[in-house]
Amino acid sequence: MSRACKTPVLVRDAARTPSAGTADKTSHQTDLFQQALPLEAADISRQTASRKRTVERLWFCVYLPRLPLEALSVSEDVSEDVSGNVSGGASGASSGKGQVNNRAVVRTDFRAIVEEQQGIHRILLPDTRAAEAGVLPGQSANAALALLPELTLELRNPLCEQQVLEALATWLEQYSSFVSIVAADVLLLEIAGSLRLFGGLKTLGREIVAGLEQRGFDASPAIAPTPLAATWLARGGRRACVHEFEKLLPALRNLTLDCLDWPRTALELLTGMGIGNVGDCLRLPRDGFAKRFGASRLLELDRALGRLPDPRPAWRAPERFLGDHEMAEEQDDSQYLLAICHELLVSHEGFLLARQLGTQGLRFTFFHLKARATRLLLGSATAERLADRWFDLLRIRFERLALPEPVIAIRLEGGRTQALETGTGSLAFNGRARSGFNGRAQPAFNDRAQLGTTYSMNQLAERLTARIGAGAVYRVSNAADHRPQFAWRKSAALAGKTVDVASTARRDLRRPLWMLPEPVLLEAEQGWPRHRGRLTLREGPERLETGWWDEQGIARDYYTAIDPRGVRLWIYRDRKPRCDVVWYLHGIFG
Amino acid sequence: MRHSHSSLGSSFGSSLDSSPGSPLDQLLENPRVWRGRDALRSPDGLPSGYDALDRRLPGGGWPRRALTEILVEQYGIGELQLLMPALAQLSTEDVMAGSGWIAWVAPPFQPYPPALQQGGVDLSRVLIVRPKNDAEILWSAEQALASGTCAAVLLWLAVLDDQASRRLQLAAEKGGSWAIAFRPATARSELSAAALRIELEADRQGTALHILRSRGGKPGVIKPFFADG
Repeated sequence: MSRACKTPVLVRDAARTPSAGTADKTSHQTDLFQQALPLEAADISRQTASRKRTVERLWFCVYLPRLPLEALSVSEDVSEDVSGNVSGGASGASSGKGQVNNRAVVRTDFRAIVEEQQGIHRILLPDTRAAEAGVLPGQSANAALALLPELTLELRNPLCEQQVLEALATWLEQYSSFVSIVAADVLLLEIAGSLRLFGGLKTLGREIVAGLEQRGFDASPAIAPTPLAATWLARGGRRACVHEFEKLLPALRNLTLDCLDWPRTALELLTGMGIGNVGDCLRLPRDGFAKRFGASRLLELDRALGRLPDPRPAWRAPERFLGDHEMAEEQDDSQYLLAICHELLVSHEGFLLARQLGTQGLRFTFFHLKARATRLLLGSATAERLADRWFDLLRIRFERLALPEPVIAIRLEGGRTQALETGTGSLAFNGRARSGFNGRAQPAFNDRAQLGTTYSMNQLAERLTARIGAGAVYRVSNAADHRPQFAWRKSAALAGKTVDVASTARRDLRRPLWMLPEPVLLEAEQGWPRHRGRLTLREGPERLETGWWDEQGIARDYYTAIDPRGVRLWIYRDRKPRCDVVWYLHGIFG
Repeated sequence: MRHSHSSLGSSFGSSLDSSPGSPLDQLLENPRVWRGRDALRSPDGLPSGYDALDRRLPGGGWPRRALTEILVEQYGIGELQLLMPALAQLSTEDVMAGSGWIAWVAPPFQPYPPALQQGGVDLSRVLIVRPKNDAEILWSAEQALASGTCAAVLLWLAVLDDQASRRLQLAAEKGGSWAIAFRPATARSELSAAALRIELEADRQGTALHILRSRGGKPGVIKPFFADG
């Protein structure tokens, strides 16, 4: 036992003489511990001998193995629900998403979620019917389609999953004051304090699982005295319920290592060493284990067994504003309605101001007596709270909103709140406050008439978006791809900062300023391209042959050509094996 | 701006055979001296990047805070190439100075970002707007121009009557933006409030640039403007 305490974890207690006089049961436990973990055994046995560890905390873990699939169906439902009522573009759709509806989807088609891994789309999760037909996780999308042509593939949407998970965490807050989002698909509740109120472990567990099922989520629950153990047991999928420390080790021992969410390399190494489960891991010498797999893995094992504290961050449901205004009688005077909306916006501003928050989306709901409520979503590029700015956006949308009926009540729901990022304003020494670049933090908005309508870049984008729709106002950036049609991408003007990738095209390779949405097939005359007459080729060829990894690979020779009217064109010859030469027009130099 | 100002000053000075910085020069720089036709020249033109054109335009470049109309028989004959140096110049100017977006309203094709970047345009300032009809094109362009957050607004519009062009001109003045309207060559005879009207005409030999109308300047032809297409 010449282990020097190289890892910080090991420094514990020097005395390791087993104390005598243990009860039958605990001595049996002690044996197990000693066998399992030679280095730490004495320490543990002393603890178990002196007093039985009381369980202060009990963790209920919800693992959602099918979340990528379920999240998409949930959000589809929500968007259908919203689009049925919203007129115009759904500019602030983010505020509507993330709600969890009470419904179960009955689907008849085959679905699977795909994820891009190193440029190849691979199946992440097939639904039950697709799985029965032989679609397996890890298959390439093409292989799955060959197997099952009617399979619908959907790209994984991590953002949507996150929203759904947060919505679930908010829902779970009714069962515990401490809910934590552990990973992309794992939620933790501390339930020791909730047991009495909810009528015991079994009733509580059953209620939560039933609630999740009703919302369309297939959950794998587990209960354990430490958060990590609960997570692992839930991933193991055996619905374990361990509420004593003594039973923790036997329960964990048989867990396979893939429940631990460790890096693949570590798992492969362990499997190669013949280590198949957690029990085997615990039997390894601690210092060697820490050396080979990192001290953090050892720390995890200790935390799972409750030897080390494991503090977790708690989830707090975001606070949202909800304001209602009910009218004594139905109104259809738009000026009157706008004035009420303004009042609501002012109280919304007060709510946010007190919390130093802003929001990127709002939803107005106009209730009618005899028709379905009309909803209006507003979106902003940055977190915003100023009532006047929201009112500006509202006015643009309201002009074009067709209310089917007079309005009896108006409701304003604030979107997800976020910390307000304040811009650096300039000091107004001459008493004339200039609207800053971010257009906030100035009293300027109250006397806009004086100032002239100067507002920020984002506000322009918001105004345009409010009138002509989110899809029609966009920004562009480069993308890292040699294929001309994939070398750029759109992003909504309200989406915030775009990440610009340096163009992969070399500076000396000229690119046309205008691109056609789709290449246009050119007529050919004895293999020579024509476009309003015979074309003269000037530069080229520039050979682009890439994209073999997905189904949109290209093999083209690009030329610069001039047509009889002097227009410079970017054309290419398709080199894919065909019998004759095929020319396409792809861009205009402008 | 400074550049164009000094070039104007020196050309004027050379015609009078006096060295720059002479008492006469100083006298002429005094804003109280009225100099007839030259007084109309606003010395803050935006250098077009083409010397032949800059020499012909009052102010030594594109008129800022005004509407420029560019008439083309067909899109793609070099009208963007004509603007690229100026757009690149605007990209380098300070965002905080009030100019921001380079807005493209209803472009006929997709402006290709890699090419824009090669031309020196800052992509993070490009905003593309695709309204559904002419009324919305005008509305968007007017909003963008008057907002004071656009360095330049490019719009493509077949129908632009006198009144609409006047509104664009006013919006450009108000927001301090440069408005460029691209229109078909058939609009040559229509009335317009644009400060500058240019027509591009291309054939196999090259592209000719006709200055149809220039406020404070003279009409004229530059041929060939782009040699060889």
